[in-house]
Amino acid sequence: MAIRAGVARLSIGVMFAVVVYLLPVVLVHSPYVLFALTLTLCYAIPAMALNLLLGYTGLVSLGHMGFAGIGAYVTAVLMKNGIAPFAPAIIAGTIVAGLVGVLVGIPCLRLRSHFFIIVTLAVGLILYLLFNNLDWLTGGAAGLPGIPRPGPINLGFAIIDPRRPLGFYFLAATIFLLVFIVQYALIYSDFGRSLAAIRQDETLAGSRGVDVFGHKLTIFALSAAIAGLGGGLQVEFLRAAAPQSYGFLENINLVLIVIVGGAGSLFGPTLGALLFIALPEMLRVADTYRMVLFGAALLALALFAPRGLWGLAVSGVRKLRGHHSALTHAGHP
Amino acid sequence: MPAILEVDNVTKSFGGVRAVDGASFRLAAPGIYGLIGPNGAGKTTLFDVICGRQSADTGNVRLAEQRIDQLRVHRRARLGLARTFQECRVLEAETCLDNVLFAAQDKHLGSEMMQATSRRTGARRTESEEAARLLDLVNLRHLAAEPAGNLSFGQRRLLEIVSSIIARPRLLLLDEPASGINPTLLNTLHDFLLRIFAERQIVVLIVEHNMEFIMSLASHILVMHQGRVLEQGPPAAIQKSQRVIDAYLG
Repeated sequence: MAIRAGVARLSIGVMFAVVVYLLPVVLVHSPYVLFALTLTLCYAIPAMALNLLLGYTGLVSLGHMGFAGIGAYVTAVLMKNGIAPFAPAIIAGTIVAGLVGVLVGIPCLRLRSHFFIIVTLAVGLILYLLFNNLDWLTGGAAGLPGIPRPGPINLGFAIIDPRRPLGFYFLAATIFLLVFIVQYALIYSDFGRSLAAIRQDETLAGSRGVDVFGHKLTIFALSAAIAGLGGGLQVEFLRAAAPQSYGFLENINLVLIVIVGGAGSLFGPTLGALLFIALPEMLRVADTYRMVLFGAALLALALFAPRGLWGLAVSGVRKLRGHHSALTHAGHP
Repeated sequence: MPAILEVDNVTKSFGGVRAVDGASFRLAAPGIYGLIGPNGAGKTTLFDVICGRQSADTGNVRLAEQRIDQLRVHRRARLGLARTFQECRVLEAETCLDNVLFAAQDKHLGSEMMQATSRRTGARRTESEEAARLLDLVNLRHLAAEPAGNLSFGQRRLLEIVSSIIARPRLLLLDEPASGINPTLLNTLHDFLLRIFAERQIVVLIVEHNMEFIMSLASHILVMHQGRVLEQGPPAAIQKSQRVIDAYLG
């Protein structure tokens, strides 16, 4: 039984990976769609990071794009000045974002839930102000343009060139799938079960031997690091770092991506990113109307699908299946 | 004989009220101990001090010779102290089996991270047999795959106690386990606790108001009054003690 479930899970995972890698082959004649999909992957990574906190641990962070910004600016500065090539630069961005996560987490995670939310909002705003005003390092409001793309990667059987759209898509897809695997491994582990216990009842988790603060700090740092990785990838893709990408609206946007997609589900953040990044890009919905539309959509979701679109889809499939089996049972008494 | 639980001269005040006022006792031999007393005697506060929900103003608490009164709650749990809550706490979104397995798992961050990378589930499989057996003893086995949120209050209480026991504690503290449970489940609970005690030979300390329940279950009763331990002894002696009768009626 357990083995069959494992095989089913593995095959879903492999199918998902195949779909992610093959999408551009289908869409080879529409470079704009490829652009939108690559950008979606770049946003799906911080969304998965936030989902680890918001969906699985029950910690709402309203400043998470700030950590993506740290990863982005560290990667950008190292690459632009030729200090480090792509891989060490983006790893440095990931680590620095994680370390800042630890520094922010130590005082903030001792606060009770709503105070924690307010403080994360402040952290996001402070990081934005730093990106916007440390002109000597971040280029200030003008940002850092002209960041070089990673050089060609020789896989032996093929050469991936991230300077071309298709090459970068494969690079982004690989990093995205790695983060997806990390998310999966964390959630379906003893650690993930402790996080779920913290989300449901901190007092109970503590009395069962869970170091609530230690666990929260660990997942907060991991989440900040993953967000940093996504930021590094995004800045490499867009070839420019701008403070507006990590401002207040972007922070709210990321929370919306996770909640609308389905907080606490593996595929929810990706679905949300597709909806919030790719769809507006492709449909060219005007920026001014976007927030109004999303406001209405969010209200509808809160009323009809409290577990997000992914949750809605899952319960829909279950209902259909239940209906189906009820019918077959009726047919064979 | 070294004590499993030793409470030494503990005081705890809230504002001007001394809820616990120099309480001392030691529990050395394995057994089921009852902690009773009239309302306001300080039972719950003392219980909270032992578990770490409240910190004592003075005095100390030792678990198997080790001072625990300065330790955080999860450290006490890892040293072998398990408790249940008066309001009854279970993980409502998880199944009954997962509730018990979660209680059984090693919750040190390091071992959890090792488990996340190695994906080893061997320990979980060994524990699931024991979990199924314990659930069977309280007639919850058929509900093992059911989310705990769907259980009745009494069933949740049984689940909470099973979860507390699977981690093999040295000391099990139960906060009013009989409250809000119907007589049938109360009998199940009674028999389960006797059975588990016979198997494990640990120290079980029960705060309880239901006299019939605690007097038939415990081998030893401690009576608290005005923040101190007034009397202790076997149930028969306690029921005859004039001091105890005065405390309850006075």
